[in-house]
Amino acid sequence: MQLWALIVDGFRQAVDSKIFWVLACGTVVIMLALLSIGFEEGKAVFLFGAFETESGGYNPMFELGRSRLVGVIIYYVMSLFLGWIGVVLMIIATADLIPGMLQSGSVEVLAAKPISRWRLFLYRYLSGLVFVFLQAALFIGLTVLVMGFRWGVWRPGLLASIPLLVLMFSYLYCVSAAVAVKTRSALACVLITIGAWVVFAMVSQAPMLMEAFRMEKSSRLYRVVYAVSWVPPKTGDLPILAARFAHAGTSSDVLPESVLQSGGPQQREDFELAREIEERQLKQPPVYSIGSSLLFEAVVLGFAMLSFARTDF
Amino acid sequence: MDLAVTEMTNWAVDLIDVRKTYGRRIQALGGVSIQVGRGEIFGLLGPNGAGKTTLVKIMMSVVRPDSAYGTVLGRPIGHRGKLARIGYLPESHRFPGYLTGAQVLDFYAALAKVPRQKRAANVEKWLHRVGMTQWASTRIRKYSKGMMQRLGLAQALMNDPEMVVLDEPTDGVDPVGRRSIRELLIELKRAGTTVFLNSHMLSELEMVCDRVAILVGGMVARQGTLKELTDHTLEYQIRCGGDVAALTEKIQGLGGRCEDGAVILAGHDPQKLNALIDVLRAGNVLIDSVEPRRFSLEDILVEAMGAETGAGAAAAPIGIARHAT
Ligand SMILES: Nc1ncnc2c1ncn2[C@@H]1O[C@H](COP(=O)(O)OP(=O)(O)O)[C@@H](O)[C@H]1O
Ligand SMILES: [Mg+2]
Repeated sequence: MQLWALIVDGFRQAVDSKIFWVLACGTVVIMLALLSIGFEEGKAVFLFGAFETESGGYNPMFELGRSRLVGVIIYYVMSLFLGWIGVVLMIIATADLIPGMLQSGSVEVLAAKPISRWRLFLYRYLSGLVFVFLQAALFIGLTVLVMGFRWGVWRPGLLASIPLLVLMFSYLYCVSAAVAVKTRSALACVLITIGAWVVFAMVSQAPMLMEAFRMEKSSRLYRVVYAVSWVPPKTGDLPILAARFAHAGTSSDVLPESVLQSGGPQQREDFELAREIEERQLKQPPVYSIGSSLLFEAVVLGFAMLSFARTDF
Repeated sequence: MDLAVTEMTNWAVDLIDVRKTYGRRIQALGGVSIQVGRGEIFGLLGPNGAGKTTLVKIMMSVVRPDSAYGTVLGRPIGHRGKLARIGYLPESHRFPGYLTGAQVLDFYAALAKVPRQKRAANVEKWLHRVGMTQWASTRIRKYSKGMMQRLGLAQALMNDPEMVVLDEPTDGVDPVGRRSIRELLIELKRAGTTVFLNSHMLSELEMVCDRVAILVGGMVARQGTLKELTDHTLEYQIRCGGDVAALTEKIQGLGGRCEDGAVILAGHDPQKLNALIDVLRAGNVLIDSVEPRRFSLEDILVEAMGAETGAGAAAAPIGIARHAT
């Protein structure tokens, strides 16, 4: 009952912000755009028939074409619109959930209810994740339907991206929640969370960057960086995990041969290296990425809850 | 053992030696002990910064005390489950602006573990009781201060509590509203609810409280029933005709003084009073009336503050006294 009340309230608060409507409109626009694309007899038709081209390697009649289409959706549509822009908007939309609760005058009423502080905090945190879950379910669910009905590409494995997105968002939202307890400012939550996101991405991608620059894997620097890279949550792993569940291959598998073959030998070698790194990631059991990230999240949340439970309001 | 239990449950609130220091330096409570009987209206008064809000927050486990003994509704301080039986209106409370009045009541009652059906019935009942029914489905960001206060009261009552704790409930409420809050408190008392009231508005408390404690500088300066605290005489006022001026010296000799046609004798001493009357009668003064003037709660508060802050402070505002010297 208390959990339900707090989740409903969190949702009401998130809906009350304008960001909710921006997100909803964005979803509608992108779904219309996807709907406007069709495939007929070896041709790809855009804007409901305004343009058409050869569908080439993307013909959904063939398994390779279907996989590539799913890859395009994962690596380009979803990770751009949902994984980047969407996540930023959702960070903003949920930033005030905990600071709002902690405002003087509000927090006293809540803290005096027969619910423990850690539960109050955790339920409120969950309400933010439920909000994100609903947004992600809408976007990804519609995408799956559009792909199925319009293109004939049925790939229910894509639905795994919904919990994956929520999971990835939770890595960031724990930072927001901890900042909220310390500062009680939604603005600080947004800024620090986005900053942390950048840092997480840089640190956890650092070994791959070093590899791309052909640093010796046996060097001490590489090993230190590699060890450190396991500390922050792996916010960048969403597309690769999504691709794994949807059987879509790496991001370079998605590109047409002509792109891969263009450019000099140096660029082609870079491509090969990038593909090799991604393939290695694809083969790695997801438990490494998810487990280490959840550990980080648990530590941050534990710290936030402890601090919340000890505060005098 | 048995005795201890009955003693514990006789009081709605029985706090012993509650201490709280914020940070390192700000001592808000320096060992407060108060008792509140079941079913009575209890007033905690004192000037701003006395520690009233801190004490109430400790009772409601919003603030953690440095040390505290005793019970609230028969359970140790900080017992979470018992909070379901207490209603609380914090000082200058704020509710989420995106909720309507009815949603606010429902939400907080759900957190207080009131079952769904009971909530629906109580939303109606208490909104009606505080006269807010027609605002039930308006978002509260449109409410005025007085309306927020009434909604806050309804919120504190949604769980039909055994005890309500109200921190400055009449803050920002107009006189008519204050009167209806007073009536509500009396009604609650009749229904057997214990009412714990924080206020710095003395006149209001005088009208409804059974017992009061006066908190000054984090310590209880006085505690008792209103009658106990105010029932001793402050001074006698003797109205009389005739030439009092001639007797001034004798009157002053007995500790009295003359004040526009009346003789005032400070303190409660019938011997002195009779001696003074003898003097007046001997001087052929015609006595019209003798009136004892009793302490008001305000007098007691001022006196208590004077004792706390040092002699002279009560007689003249500190600022003025300092400027004069
Ligand atoms: N959260 C807090 N942090 C630091 N000091 C506080 C806090 N709350 C209250 N105080 C201080 O404690 C003292 C008592 O305050 P309070 O309990 O609000 O008194 P009252 O309600 O009687 O006006 C004041 O000096 C106040 O400044
Ligand atoms: Mg106060």
